Amino acid sequence: MKTVIKTTNLQKIYNNSVAPVKAVNDISLEFKEGEFTAIVGPSGSGKTTFLNLIGGLDKPTGGEIFIDGTEISTMKESELFDFRLRNIGFVFQSYNLIPVLTAKENVSFIMLLQKRPKAEMEKRATEMLEQVGLSDKLNSRPNQLSGGQQQRVAVARALASKPKFVLADEPTANLDTESAFNLLDIMEKLNKEENITLIFSTHDQRVIERAGRVITLVDGRVSEDEVGSSRFEV
Amino acid sequence: MKILLILAWRNLWRNRKRTLITVSSVLFAVLLATLFVSMEKGSYERLIDSMVRYSTGYIQIQDVLFDEEPSIDHTLLFDEEIEAILKKNDEQIAFHVPRLQNFVLVATENNTRGSILNGIDPELEIRMNDLNEDLVKGEFLKPDDNGLMLAEGLAGILNVTVGDTLVLLGQGFHGSTAAGTYPVKGIVDLKIPEINNNTIYMSLSEAQWFYGTGNRVTSLIIMPENPARTQQLAENLRMMIDPEWHRVLTWEELLEDLLNLMKFDVAGTMIMMMILYIIIAFGLFGTILTMLIERRKEFALLFSLGMKRAQVAIVCFFEALFISMAGVVLGIIISIPVVAWFYHHPIPLSGDMAEAIADYGFEPVLPFSADPNIFLNQALIVLIISFLIGLFPVYKVFRIHIMEAKK
Ligand SMILES: Nc1ncnc2c1ncn2[C@@H]1O[C@H](COP(=O)(O)OP(=O)(O)O)[C@@H](O)[C@H]1O
Ligand SMILES: [Mg+2]
Repeated sequence: MKTVIKTTNLQKIYNNSVAPVKAVNDISLEFKEGEFTAIVGPSGSGKTTFLNLIGGLDKPTGGEIFIDGTEISTMKESELFDFRLRNIGFVFQSYNLIPVLTAKENVSFIMLLQKRPKAEMEKRATEMLEQVGLSDKLNSRPNQLSGGQQQRVAVARALASKPKFVLADEPTANLDTESAFNLLDIMEKLNKEENITLIFSTHDQRVIERAGRVITLVDGRVSEDEVGSSRFEV
Repeated sequence: MKILLILAWRNLWRNRKRTLITVSSVLFAVLLATLFVSMEKGSYERLIDSMVRYSTGYIQIQDVLFDEEPSIDHTLLFDEEIEAILKKNDEQIAFHVPRLQNFVLVATENNTRGSILNGIDPELEIRMNDLNEDLVKGEFLKPDDNGLMLAEGLAGILNVTVGDTLVLLGQGFHGSTAAGTYPVKGIVDLKIPEINNNTIYMSLSEAQWFYGTGNRVTSLIIMPENPARTQQLAENLRMMIDPEWHRVLTWEELLEDLLNLMKFDVAGTMIMMMILYIIIAFGLFGTILTMLIERRKEFALLFSLGMKRAQVAIVCFFEALFISMAGVVLGIIISIPVVAWFYHHPIPLSGDMAEAIADYGFEPVLPFSADPNIFLNQALIVLIISFLIGLFPVYKVFRIHIMEAKK
């Protein structure tokens, strides 16, 4: 299978505290096309920092990041903006949606910025909202949606533009158990159907077992990297 | 581009109340500013208008020395050369009004007083300033009339009325003596005391005979077809006259002292306006600043998704522009009827102020100007201000650090 993301000796050191913090400490990993990966670890273990680095939102202090073979950590800011728009889907823990746009407009937003044809956009947005079970909420504004529904819209948006991969930083952290499982189900389903690489972080034991691959971070280092464990055991 | 407009528009309605307050602050500032300027301009317009109508006209042709040293010897010969020049500009000239003005001593059996004798063409004078409407007694002068028309104040001082005879004594052309007796045919009320107490009218032909000037005038007033094109007409005339002998002056030159006085006055209003503009600027700036601070997380989201900084900046700029445009447009829409109302119903004055104004022959009111330029200028100034303020979020958006805004 094709490698989508590859990091070599990736490092992010924060110098602004009393002692330098190695938030990401020498991580070398590869993510293949279509993988459904969970990054787990306690709070402060470097999950967010790692996702921000491979998402091109933050600059590493050492090492390299290759997306489809392209080194992104040396890109200029304007190139990175464009790179993110074309290649990466994001789901954040909170504040995912543009408050003044409806669910459907939010899902179309990336495609709109990519200047996709209108008809395609319409069709895809409706289809994606259907996929996440929100076909009755097309014209609802974010403040008319529950937390779980908002996260589903965010997932629909991240996948609608068919990016190379989707990064979800603790997408279930603010959700109750039922909504969390529901969101995971949807992510898992879409990952399979669309064959889009999906990496999500969590410190929630309940959702870990849904992942095909589980990478555990401790103090910015990879302490475990299990492939296909629990799913095959069931 | 459309999405940027949609975002900007909807963002405005996120905090309806704040937007409305900001819009109305711009609205009130525009309204106040237009009212201020309209009131000030109204007074000036009234003054200038009456000066131009009654006294100077729009353009005058004079002898080259008359403006500096007004004297009967510095008069202009109204000959074929001048006639020809007027003819050539016929299309732009509505009519011309010749005047021969000079100092004269007027005497009755027991009273003598210095006055200004105005030799006028009665018909043309009426056409210029409706002088016949000021007639309070007797008859108005006729062309070639050999009687006099007296200002009411002067008639009172001399204690004469229609039918009485006056002796006039003055210095004529090139040192000759001018003397004669004339009957009073009519009395006019000229209102402004300084003028009403020392003005005598005589037909131009009689005045020319009295002073022995022949076909000379102290000034030839030119009334243009279109007063807005006064400057152009004056330029045309300037090119045709003989500059060694003649001079063309516009009302702006003739009323230079008065206009300078007004300019000085305008400075006071400018300070008031500056304060108003600063209030608008701060209101708008405050709103925009809070909008920026409140939306840091949203900006971080938009940047993460790949929306360009320039696009986000455009959204913010549009928001600032929408608010001020709405304020300006509504401000103008509201100020038009308000100014129009005051234009037709000027504010009545009372007390000393009213008396002082009435003394000058004006209605004791504060007049307003309905010059469309007032609205346009105010709209433009406020728009420029908001344009500049709208640049602030643009600057800010380009400086937001994504990771910091995301926190
Ligand atoms: N902007 C920052 N400045 C300084 N230290 C930071 C910053 N962001 C994260 N850190 C530190 O880096 C470490 C990893 O943080 P983070 O990646 O947020 O972990 P996680 O997402 O797993 O909770 C923590 O010790 C955190 O305090
Ligand atoms: Mg985190």
